[in-house]
Amino acid sequence: MSNKYIGQSVKRIEDKRFITGKGRYTDDIKLLGMTHAAFVRSPYAHAIVVSIDTSAAQDMPGVMAIFTGDDIKATGIVGVPTGWQVNFKNGDTMKEPPHPLLVATGSTVKHIGDPVAVIIAESYAAAVDAAEMVEVEWEDLPAVTDPMKATQEGATLVHEDAPGNLAFDWELGNPLSEVDQAISESAHVTSLEFVNQRLVPNAIEPRAYIGQYDEVSDKYTLYTSTQNPHLIRLLMCAFVLGIPEHKVRVLGPDVGGGFGSKIYHYTEEALVTWASKQINRPIKWTETRSEAFQLDAHGRDHVTKAEMGFDADGNIKALRIKTFANLGAYLSTFAPAVPTYLHGTLLQGLYTTPKIHIDLQAVFTHTVAVDAYRGAGRPEATYLLERLVDLAALEMGKDPIQLRKQNFIPAFDGVDQPGYQTQVALQYDSGNYHGVVDKAMEMLGYEEFRRMQKEASQNGKLLGVGFSTYIEACGIAPSAVVGALGARAGLYESAQVRVQPTGKVSVYSGSHSHGQGHETTFAQIVADKFGIPMEDVDIIHGDSDAVAFGMGTYGSRSLAVGGSAIVKSIDKVLEKGAKIAAHKLECSEDDLEFDEGKWTVKGTDKSISFGDVALTAYVPHVYPQGLEPGLDFASFYDPTNFTYPFGCHIAVVEVDKETGKVKLNRFIAVDDVGNVINPMIVDGQIHGGLAQGIGQALLEGAIYDENGQLINASYMDYAMPRADDLPMFELGRQETPCPHNPLGVKGAGEAGCIGSTPAVVNAVIDALWSGGHKVKDIMMPLTPERVWTAMQQ
Amino acid sequence: MDLNGSHILPASNDRVWRMLMDTDTLTKIVPGITHLEKTGENEFKAVAQIKMGPVSGAFTGGLVLEDIREGEGYTLHVKQNSKIGNADATIRIDLKPTDEGHTELRFDGGAKLSGLLARTGNRVMSGVAHSLTKQFFENFEEEIETQKA
Repeated sequence: MSNKYIGQSVKRIEDKRFITGKGRYTDDIKLLGMTHAAFVRSPYAHAIVVSIDTSAAQDMPGVMAIFTGDDIKATGIVGVPTGWQVNFKNGDTMKEPPHPLLVATGSTVKHIGDPVAVIIAESYAAAVDAAEMVEVEWEDLPAVTDPMKATQEGATLVHEDAPGNLAFDWELGNPLSEVDQAISESAHVTSLEFVNQRLVPNAIEPRAYIGQYDEVSDKYTLYTSTQNPHLIRLLMCAFVLGIPEHKVRVLGPDVGGGFGSKIYHYTEEALVTWASKQINRPIKWTETRSEAFQLDAHGRDHVTKAEMGFDADGNIKALRIKTFANLGAYLSTFAPAVPTYLHGTLLQGLYTTPKIHIDLQAVFTHTVAVDAYRGAGRPEATYLLERLVDLAALEMGKDPIQLRKQNFIPAFDGVDQPGYQTQVALQYDSGNYHGVVDKAMEMLGYEEFRRMQKEASQNGKLLGVGFSTYIEACGIAPSAVVGALGARAGLYESAQVRVQPTGKVSVYSGSHSHGQGHETTFAQIVADKFGIPMEDVDIIHGDSDAVAFGMGTYGSRSLAVGGSAIVKSIDKVLEKGAKIAAHKLECSEDDLEFDEGKWTVKGTDKSISFGDVALTAYVPHVYPQGLEPGLDFASFYDPTNFTYPFGCHIAVVEVDKETGKVKLNRFIAVDDVGNVINPMIVDGQIHGGLAQGIGQALLEGAIYDENGQLINASYMDYAMPRADDLPMFELGRQETPCPHNPLGVKGAGEAGCIGSTPAVVNAVIDALWSGGHKVKDIMMPLTPERVWTAMQQ
Repeated sequence: MDLNGSHILPASNDRVWRMLMDTDTLTKIVPGITHLEKTGENEFKAVAQIKMGPVSGAFTGGLVLEDIREGEGYTLHVKQNSKIGNADATIRIDLKPTDEGHTELRFDGGAKLSGLLARTGNRVMSGVAHSLTKQFFENFEEEIETQKA
């Protein structure tokens, strides 16, 4: 072990290729004889496919093949599955209607962009031209897009066999009667009805796939812009196409962002793979930005009624939640887990609330699937808790920070003090919640701010401060726990550490980077653990033939789970290395210590380097009897618990009285993500998350009209946050180690996105109250028009 | 998308009615229509070229007149398909004589849009509807003048 790299802001190794334009994304790959696919998609949200006429398209130049839903149906391929099963409260099985690769004639398309045919041609242009020549006769039907309207009697059904458009209903927490009683006995109840609006993930690289079939080996290769190559292989082979897994290699080259949207197995992945065998040529499909808006699984989309009861002293006594979660038309891979086990289980927040109950309706609508989007369920939980607490403080005339602190769970390290058992199934690992708040408040200069706010309001200006404290469940996830909750896969991670004969190290990780900097962070750990230069370490990921197995990158899990798997293999290497070293140094293993890249006989200057031990392992001429040659270990790491990062975010805003425009003046984020390997990378993750969380509060929102048309499906109409919408972020950090993984890390990928949204909205509400506008809620995004309208009431 | 408005045309109720029922006249006055062909009793096939903000395209489809109230008005059903999306509109048209030799034409209805048209054209749609309406009445007045001459 050395301390050269861990904790240092080492510049990212991968950035050299990214910033010099040498990254290799799926669309950059050109295979010999490669063809291109284009899809014929529904312009309607709900319509019967009466007939499809492909004859004119067949005659177009360059067209190789056309497949329709009827062709797919004839093969017996049913569609893509979901990876999680959440059953109804009464025990009935979750409704899981098929999600076909292409919709067949006589069936109904269920959201705009639902595909009915694919054209494969010599060029992409030829495929698109031919797709335009396909004549489809549609019978347009009424659509339902709102999750509450969808559950009303007489609503149009998305799936015939899902009455009331319910995929399932679900509850969690204390018995409802106990929560009802606690609410009715409360001295003050703060209630809020709000929408957590639908978001488009907007990865900068659109989804792209290449399917390739090799006749000689009878083997397929799928290049895919994905967050988890192995999971795609497992789902596609075992549940969609029925191809044996050893006959499919899934490669994930460089991936330009995902934010959750590239976790899932999409129909196009399976289709290009299947079709590549039919035409015996490689097939590439790269989606257009317009398709990305329509088809990449969206995030959020909850309609919620929330009530929080307090006693006369401001202690939280109960929380009662009723939520309608829009899941879209089909169940995406993780969709059932997001509003349930990644949302309901976080409703304890940082508070000692003794009674909690959530009732949830998971609803089908004629919209594209909703699934995990950066934070996934946890931002929705944080939003409702933190809006309630800040609003309660305003309503009761209490200080919002004092109100939080008096309800906080006291600090515990998870080692000497036990973890904290919540009312909603989880056991928090370690936490010091007062610590992050105190640090953030110091950065803010609270008293000075309140003085300025008062002065400003006297001068007719509206200044506001908004707070948010959050906790998230990351490091997803202990397999036994998630299995009991309905996961159809384990959520461990694998890592192989292969020490080469010259002492250089190749690490094969099941965590697949889509921008997080794994090649740097993982290399920092390996280099320090072996006491070798980082240049001697190579991180290999994104290849199902090279890497044993992997569950991918999401849920802030790569370092906590994937990194821990690497550490397990490192430990095995060092254990065997010590045996070899002891033999070479003619001593007992117990007499050796490993430090700074060499084994030394304690109290002497006799030592052998890591490189020499590696060479001995591969050229075992002088070697311990009975020991296998080689220095190469694989491990699987299954965490014993989730990890629980937490933090405190503060937004300072100024609201223009005349126009309602919100200016975000300051944003302070103090996050505790456990131990930190590379502070610069963690800061980068926090920055990106903040931009997305603030984007939700002020700018973003996918809008379906009543016919199910997505009417802001381009960057002309969908407001993405830009640099000039954001202030310089003020970051602070506290490090409370995770007690149950070897690195003590908790995960940083989602924190910024989880904590920031309610802080901004709370700040705007606070600003309006300072000017006498006692507004409870403004629907996100807080556009000038909405804020202005709220001020007029 | 809501479509409604009214305009006073410098022609008698009877004249306006006859023009509204005449295929050739409609081809001239409805903006964008390049071809209108009678396919049955009060049923037409229409070809139109329309630009909506960032998107433009050639539309083909049907046009049906229903609820025909002689000299008073009718309800127009338009269903147009194109590569950039489809439009489905229902518009009620009412005529009312005003001053000597003038007629008020009122229309009220809405259109459902789909595809690229709905996705990217939506922001400019009310502007497009406004300018198409203006053009329709300008063409109508011009045609009244032409037919007088």
